[in-house]
Amino acid sequence: MELGFTIAAYVVAAVLFVLALGGLSNQESAKRAIWYGIVGMLIAVLATMIGPGSGLWWVSLILIVIGAAIGHQLATRVQMTQMPELVAIMHSLVGLAAVFVGFNADIELGRVTAEFHAQGLPFPRPEDVTVEGAAFAKTFSGFAAILAKKTAVEVNILRIELVLGIWIGAVTFTGSVIAYGKLAGKVSSAAKQLPGGHILNAAAAIGSLAMAGLYLSGAEVWTLVLLTLLALFIGYHLIMRIGGADMPVVVSMLNSYSGWAAAAIGFSLGNDLLIVVGALVGSSGAILSYIMCRAMNRSFVSVILGGFGGTSGPQASIDGQQVAIDADGVAAALNDADNVVIVPGYGMAVAQAQQSVSELTRKLRNSGKDVRFAIHPVAGRLPGHMNVLLAEAKVPYDIVLEMDEINDDFPETDVVIVIGSNDIVNPAAQDDPNSPIAGMPVLEVWKAKQVFVSKRGQGAGYSGIENPLFFKENTRMFFGDAKESLDKLLPIIN
Amino acid sequence: MKIGAPTETVKGESRVAMTPDSAVHLQKLGHECFIEGGAGKSAGFSDAAYEAVGVTIVSSRAELFSGVDIVVKVRPPDAKELRQFSQGQTLISFFYPAANESLMQKAAAAGVTTVAMDMVPRISRAQKMDALSSMANIAGYRAIIEAGNNFGRFFTGQVTAAGKVQPAKVLVIGAGVAGLAAIGTATSLGAITLAFDVRPEVAEQIESMGAEFVFLEFEEEQQDGASTGGYAAPSSPEFREKQLEKFRELAPEVDIVITTALIPNQDAPVLWTKDMVAAMQPGSVIVDLAAERGGNCELTEEDKKIVTDNDVTIIGYTDFPSRMATQASSLFATNIRHVIADLTPNKDGTIVHNMEDDVIRGATVTHAKEITFPPPPPKVSAIAAQPKAALARELSPAEKREQEAAAFRAQTFKQVALLASGAILVLAAGLVAPASFMQHFIVFVLSVFVGLQVIWNVAHSLHTPLMAVTNAISSIIILGALIQIGSSSVLISILAAAGVLMAAINIFGGFLVTRRMLAMFQKS
Repeated sequence: MELGFTIAAYVVAAVLFVLALGGLSNQESAKRAIWYGIVGMLIAVLATMIGPGSGLWWVSLILIVIGAAIGHQLATRVQMTQMPELVAIMHSLVGLAAVFVGFNADIELGRVTAEFHAQGLPFPRPEDVTVEGAAFAKTFSGFAAILAKKTAVEVNILRIELVLGIWIGAVTFTGSVIAYGKLAGKVSSAAKQLPGGHILNAAAAIGSLAMAGLYLSGAEVWTLVLLTLLALFIGYHLIMRIGGADMPVVVSMLNSYSGWAAAAIGFSLGNDLLIVVGALVGSSGAILSYIMCRAMNRSFVSVILGGFGGTSGPQASIDGQQVAIDADGVAAALNDADNVVIVPGYGMAVAQAQQSVSELTRKLRNSGKDVRFAIHPVAGRLPGHMNVLLAEAKVPYDIVLEMDEINDDFPETDVVIVIGSNDIVNPAAQDDPNSPIAGMPVLEVWKAKQVFVSKRGQGAGYSGIENPLFFKENTRMFFGDAKESLDKLLPIIN
Repeated sequence: MKIGAPTETVKGESRVAMTPDSAVHLQKLGHECFIEGGAGKSAGFSDAAYEAVGVTIVSSRAELFSGVDIVVKVRPPDAKELRQFSQGQTLISFFYPAANESLMQKAAAAGVTTVAMDMVPRISRAQKMDALSSMANIAGYRAIIEAGNNFGRFFTGQVTAAGKVQPAKVLVIGAGVAGLAAIGTATSLGAITLAFDVRPEVAEQIESMGAEFVFLEFEEEQQDGASTGGYAAPSSPEFREKQLEKFRELAPEVDIVITTALIPNQDAPVLWTKDMVAAMQPGSVIVDLAAERGGNCELTEEDKKIVTDNDVTIIGYTDFPSRMATQASSLFATNIRHVIADLTPNKDGTIVHNMEDDVIRGATVTHAKEITFPPPPPKVSAIAAQPKAALARELSPAEKREQEAAAFRAQTFKQVALLASGAILVLAAGLVAPASFMQHFIVFVLSVFVGLQVIWNVAHSLHTPLMAVTNAISSIIILGALIQIGSSSVLISILAAAGVLMAAINIFGGFLVTRRMLAMFQKS
């Protein structure tokens, strides 16, 4: 076992991972950067298999091949609209793996302790280690060899790390499974909670702390099992309480957790590469959550603990009525317009309308019109979800703009088409201080000359917040399924 | 109603107030059109062209004046011409009522309703009737063309086989309609264009036309251009000094100067003094569009082109629109036809002179034997007043630096505080934790730091691929499972094996799906 070689390989892998993430700063370098990530992973796995993990080679290999086959199936079969589900379920795997590895570390610790005691030697290693003790420690291999050299303080720290790794891993696991269920429509996406609400969570958290305390003071493995169960409950209950539109925050948060779990396990295994990558992933997820929260003008805590922020009075009521329009009217306006902005939302993903949107864009652009897309940071169910869908439909990425890039251009825009988005274009966020989304940055589509809203029917969207945009004088409602509506529109655009 | 256009009597005036095109539109409003034979000739419109669209050609001037209800003209009538009008007739033309008091009185006495095209208020609705703007636009364009005609070099810079050509440098003073038209023409010919105006709010318009705004550092509450209907107001002597100083600095380097500075109802301000002319390079050209009002350049002579001792050409023509008579006539005739359209609200050929209407009231200077000049202020303000807050934002450079420094200090303080508290925490941990832990800990902290730095640069549109790829690499947990799988305990091996399998799914799934997504991002 040449440890020096393994660590050198880890250094290379760590650098490659950083480059892989850094390359995502633009679309072209990202295509190269992904290879850095793949090569880094290959180096890391090979170095580990040759080095510290040399036992049961063939089992590892077979399992990796099976895993590869399943992973390949998943990755090639998945629809781009289902990306949020896939990402969520993959997080759950990382979480569960972290729980298993954490338990293993505890079992191994118990085994090593038992063997030392069977030899009549003290364990953890005392300060004045005897020659026999040191010699016996050398008889262990793999992970056990690292454990055998630990002193009492080190063993305690190891246990803290274990508890953390298992706890975060377990929360990530159930949280991700529920998030997956909600995103895939297998669990109702409405915010639900068991009677007791936050008190249940708080009780579970206190219970976890108590179990951790017991375990650290030397109790048996059952404390760890109980702790895991409590963590699983917290993950389940926390995410059950969060509604569909907040999913971007949830998914990025779980992304972050899966990283922290890996880092905690890295500490307990004494593996620096695990720590590095865990920290990279953890901070990445944290930044994403922060960006998403800022885009909704809500604090992280208020999103995670569910429910909207405090409101101080009744929402302003809306006068006027929604005016419907048919495909011919929309087509006429589009034919007259010089510049058009399309605002896609989750409704576009649900209706699988991205190809029709792309076709519409192509037609309008061919007739010399300036067509651009405005993407709100929390549009869809995953950070950057809309970008991926539009890219899949071959919409060139340089006409797909962020909120800050395009918000000032709305007053000069002839026609805005809102497809399946609601809260992110709600003027109440700016006008009505009592609105639940007051202060949230929104796309100011109502400043355009004309706005068409493609929407399945009347009524408020997910959040139940009335949208004054639909009642504005320059707004026309284009009711119907987004894909069908657009397909009706396509042949009459010239 | 019968509408007639006579030949312009002023010498050198080539424009005409009705074109075949405008006549078609007037007829659609229910009017009959008449024109004096040969009136359109100098503007490039033959009698045949008028006849082809149904305009009646009238052979004599007297016959025209006696036969129509509305006379449309370009220039104001002289006293002799005015005598030909009869009571109840309407005259639509430029009139300059402030300068032509006696003429106005005569028109009122004769019972002529006079609509002065130069008095159309500057509100959005009336833009289509704003003849001053259409003429100024032509003047600005023509000024550059005249300048080019008298300038011995290219406007645009070129690198040719026969050597390098420096681009011409053009300075436009006054960025009204004429100034902006001059800027547009100069930049499209390829010249380096600078522009100055006393109204700082037009800087944006200047830059949008492709010129560079000559910025004057001067602390004075600028008068809001909106309060004077979008025209410039006279500036304080100190401001003027500062302005001249700037021009003096520019004089040796500019090749062409176009001055368009006018203040309503006042002589044109002198902005380009003798010493500036003397400082200019030989061969330079000055075109003074304010020549009619005394000129912005001290040496300008009205209606003349002069060449100074140091070979600088100064052009003081006042008839730029007339030099482009075809274009000028068609724009002017269109303005007139819009006025008539407003006077014919029912499109039935009957004139309704509605004195309640802001535009009609503003432009009418005599009506029903009375002088109706000056008009009351329009009910609609021409241009939205500049919010005062915008002015407050304009801080002096010193204040700006001060603010930036303060923000920087606050940021530094915050950063130092964070670092210090972080350092104390780490030190505290170091006191109790063993060295082996701290070794890993430093790796952890540095990685979080690197992660934060790297992730902030990720493009928003790539957030989904970012999540997929972090997902794939967070499966690095496979290393832990691989290390444990070889354990002699069966339970450990089984759990580790499950870990390896799950992580492997994730690695392959994550990387493949990321690659799939990234391949979709394509440039147009």
